[in-house]
Amino acid sequence: MEFLQPATWEEALEARAASRDAVPIAGGTDVMVGINFGRLRPALLLDLTRVPELQQWGTDDGAVRLGAGVPYARVITELGDRLPGLAMAARTIGSPQIRNRGTVGGNLATASPAGDAHPALLAAGAEVEVASVRGTRRIPVADFYRGVKRSALADDELVAAVRIPPRTGPQQYSKIGTRNAMVIAVAAFGLALHPDRRAVGTGIGSAAPTPRRAPAAEEFLAGELDGLWESRAELPPATAARFGELVAGAAAPIDDVRGTARYRVHALSVMARRTLTWAWADYRKGDPACA
Amino acid sequence: MTRAPERSRPAPPTPSPAQAVGRPLDRVDGPAKTAGLARYTADHHVPDLAHAALVHATVARGRITGLDTADAEAVGGVLAVLTHHNAPRMTPPAPVSALDLSTLAPGTTVDYLNTDRVHWNGQPVAVVVADSPDTARQAARLVRVTYEVEPAVTDFAAAQDDAVPLRGTLLVLGEERTGDAERALATAPVVVDHRYTTPAQSHHAMEPHATVAVWNGDRLTVHEGSQDVDWARRHLARRFGVPLAGVRVLSPHVGGGFGGKAPVWAGTVLTVLAARATGRAVRMVLSREDVIRTVGGRTPTVQRVALGAQRDGTLTALLHTGVSQVGRVGGTPEPVGSQSRHLYAAPHIWIRHSTTTLDVLPTAHMRAPGEAVGTFALESAVDELAVALGMDPVELRMRNEPDRDPLDGKRFSRRDLRAAYARGAERFGWAERTPSPRSMRDGHWLVGRGVATAFHLPVRLPADVTVRLRADGTVLVRCAFHEIGVGAATAQTQVAADALGVPVEAVTVEHGDTELPVGPQAGGSGQTASVATALLEACEELKRSVLALARRSPSSPLRGRRLSELRAGRGGLYRADAPDRGETYGVILTRAGRAEIEVRTAAGTRLGRTLQQARAAAGWFRDRRRWVRAVTGAHFCEVRVDEHTGEVRVSRWLGVFDVGRVVNPKTATSQLRGGIVMGIGAALSEETLVDPRTGRTVNPGLAEYHVPVQADLPRIEVDYLDEPDPTTPLGLLGVGEVGITGVAAAVANAVHHATGVRVRDLPVTLDRLL
Ligand SMILES: Cc1cc2nc3c(=O)[nH]c(=O)nc-3n(C[C@H](O)[C@H](O)[C@H](O)COP(=O)(O)OP(=O)(O)OC[C@H]3O[C@@H](n4cnc5c(N)ncnc54)[C@H](O)[C@@H]3O)c2cc1C
Repeated sequence: MEFLQPATWEEALEARAASRDAVPIAGGTDVMVGINFGRLRPALLLDLTRVPELQQWGTDDGAVRLGAGVPYARVITELGDRLPGLAMAARTIGSPQIRNRGTVGGNLATASPAGDAHPALLAAGAEVEVASVRGTRRIPVADFYRGVKRSALADDELVAAVRIPPRTGPQQYSKIGTRNAMVIAVAAFGLALHPDRRAVGTGIGSAAPTPRRAPAAEEFLAGELDGLWESRAELPPATAARFGELVAGAAAPIDDVRGTARYRVHALSVMARRTLTWAWADYRKGDPACA
Repeated sequence: MTRAPERSRPAPPTPSPAQAVGRPLDRVDGPAKTAGLARYTADHHVPDLAHAALVHATVARGRITGLDTADAEAVGGVLAVLTHHNAPRMTPPAPVSALDLSTLAPGTTVDYLNTDRVHWNGQPVAVVVADSPDTARQAARLVRVTYEVEPAVTDFAAAQDDAVPLRGTLLVLGEERTGDAERALATAPVVVDHRYTTPAQSHHAMEPHATVAVWNGDRLTVHEGSQDVDWARRHLARRFGVPLAGVRVLSPHVGGGFGGKAPVWAGTVLTVLAARATGRAVRMVLSREDVIRTVGGRTPTVQRVALGAQRDGTLTALLHTGVSQVGRVGGTPEPVGSQSRHLYAAPHIWIRHSTTTLDVLPTAHMRAPGEAVGTFALESAVDELAVALGMDPVELRMRNEPDRDPLDGKRFSRRDLRAAYARGAERFGWAERTPSPRSMRDGHWLVGRGVATAFHLPVRLPADVTVRLRADGTVLVRCAFHEIGVGAATAQTQVAADALGVPVEAVTVEHGDTELPVGPQAGGSGQTASVATALLEACEELKRSVLALARRSPSSPLRGRRLSELRAGRGGLYRADAPDRGETYGVILTRAGRAEIEVRTAAGTRLGRTLQQARAAAGWFRDRRRWVRAVTGAHFCEVRVDEHTGEVRVSRWLGVFDVGRVVNPKTATSQLRGGIVMGIGAALSEETLVDPRTGRTVNPGLAEYHVPVQADLPRIEVDYLDEPDPTTPLGLLGVGEVGITGVAAAVANAVHHATGVRVRDLPVTLDRLL
């Protein structure tokens, strides 16, 4: 097995272009599991941890540009205020060791329907910035997922960053597992309220072949909130319940060892209703970002 | 003692500062372990070490028709690929005999790599030996095996109809009855009669199984994480046809056992075989997957418990039957009715065990075999009866607390479950529980509280020890018992310190090595009491010898005294009537010109060992006729169940145990807590998933086999009655297994109280509660 350690982004992209079956490795928390269990035997490992650009985040054009190699632990400590949804999702991932190594870029490239970053990125309306020697393109995260563990990433491309609009309202993340930590989600849900554009963002995890939004639920809720954004009045429980149903309706889950399809649909409706109730309560209290 | 009046919590007996037994001392091996100096099997570096990896069969039953090892052999660094074509021949395992318990060692009759037959999906069919573990593992993946597949029975659920009732033997619990339980059931005013199931579980000790084997001619040295080095030594000597005296097994530190390291599984035998075949020292550390495919775990069970009662809660009938599985090439049935023989004063009792035989990995012992899963069914059923009667579940249990053994009227050596429940109820605030289901809540959390009884029958095994006293006042205790993480060496340090009247710092204990006098297995919760019994005997003998030395000297203040008139203390022997009259061991030995003095319990010779075993066996059977020697406990737990998602959080736990005298409350509490944690795992998440079509385990790792994590556990309170058993030396019984018993039932009972949903099939998963 060869091991390449590019020191610059250009080198990394060139190496990627030169050997398309190279396997990039960031935190290694997916790659090493694959290697240890014999599912992966790459001829070439492309280590991205020495590329400085990938380890940084900054603001650009109003969005947080999060380098693909920033570990979850830093998302939590450094970006909890701007990206609360993603930070909440990050807190549910693995254990401290995994959060020290694992990255959002790795989660995206793995594109598992159960990846915890996805619902938060979907709800926030993020864009994935991918690059190759051919150039850079931005893909709305909802278009990035193409199937079970398949993404829009071409075989000469790397994930450079993910661009996430900072919160303008409350965000929530909810995950159900078969135990309390170190667990793959049975079902997960991310919610972001966007008072600035009078919009609602959603993300469903572990309940369809890919992470996905619940567009009907988003539209319904945006309609119901029309007028309430200003009055900050109480949300009728029936609205939250209906929102839950619509979110559940967007799922297409299967039965597996972690849970039944029926359970997942039900759990999504509960998580959607709850996260909305929490988020709206925060908003009514004058959620600082929109005060 | 069976009926103690309710009382407020007595102050725990404070041992006098001079006494070590009863004090929560730190582990003697703590510093070495925290500094990383304690060497576990895989830490042993031997010169010229090679590494081995297993290849597992992928069919459940059949014959190997083709083995393509060329690709594996071509990998650089591969030394050998051993299969049944080229592996050295071994003597097959001995048939199981109650007269020689070491015949239980292999756990299976399979003649690994000496046969082309496959008996379970996962059986080792080849071993790769290489210069590095990674190379061995990689090459193992390249071995191609073809099979002639034969029909196999691999679905426990479907095989239950073929279950055959077991006949009881010395080693197996069969059928037991008193009265006519079925008739009594038919006429009982209140009856609960249900079916409960528990899933298969796999061994997941922190340290996976590991072996280092070094041959020197016909002499064999094996480093092995083992719960029974004597079994390992005897089994390996037989399999490889070499003299017993030339086989040494070392196991000073073991990272958890739970029964999984008592037998000698394939990994051990095949490491030794690989070393034999290659002429190299070989180490094999099993992966989690290897452990799950080759180390027998707990059988799935299906159980029926039927209880008949009067309206006032008096039990009239108790029926408990269970089916467990064994493999066609070995396996131990799970005596799920064990506790049901002894727990409730029903006049009509019927216990029956059956097994069904599958083409699967032999089942084997896992912490509290029988009671761990049997209490789930029994203690759930008792809770169901309490609900049916509209009665408090603690009160129902107390109403049926027996004075004598319900099956045959034997006395309990000690039993004070009433006191355990009384203390637990008070500490836990049981009275605040409102009885009806779904009556307690905290926001969207439904709160439930449940109880269940813990019960276990600790065993007693022979042990042989030497005790050496040196003129500098230090003491060396030697016995090949096993430190599997429980604090065994610490406990014996305390016992020896008190028996000889020396400070604990003066005592060193050597263990886990077949060069030492033979110790008991770390199993059946019997190790500490078994070794302590022998150790006390040896210490008496030692003091007698020291006194004999002293009495030879005219100047000794002990001259003319008998041992019974003396007390050991302050590093010597002193007169009971005149505590300042006496002398230290150092003075006595130095004056006698002795650097040290050593005694050994009777079993030092072969004849001695046979006699000792016979004596121990006779004593064991005599005791069994006279007493039921059991440990019990009362679990109190609180769960919170999310009303809408079914998520279960165990939020409080208290276990009050009646386990006889507690040698070291710190290590004993860890044992009991660990058992409770393991029980919470069994209750909520642990399950070995087997594809019923192929017999293949589909979750062979910790990512998919969920043991509890810290975030799943509340603070677990453990309390003891701490009263000595009157029939054992020092009043010790055993604490290793009782903690897990009753736990799953306590959780399920609390879940029922929280939600009104009765789960009779473990584990209690989210979707079952909606
Ligand atoms: C014990 C454990 C617990 C876990 N728990 C969770 C959990 O709770 N939730 C969850 O979502 N996940 C979990 N995971 C999975 C894993 O931690 C996450 O998917 C993580 O985000 C992967 O990030 P990484 O940096 O480690 O990726 P790596 O393993 O380095 O890479 C993952 C994939 O991304 C590719 N890749 C990495 N960086 C780039 C890049 N810049 N451009 C293109 N491709 C790239 C790699 O080639 C590989 O295909 C767990 C893993 C383990 C081992």
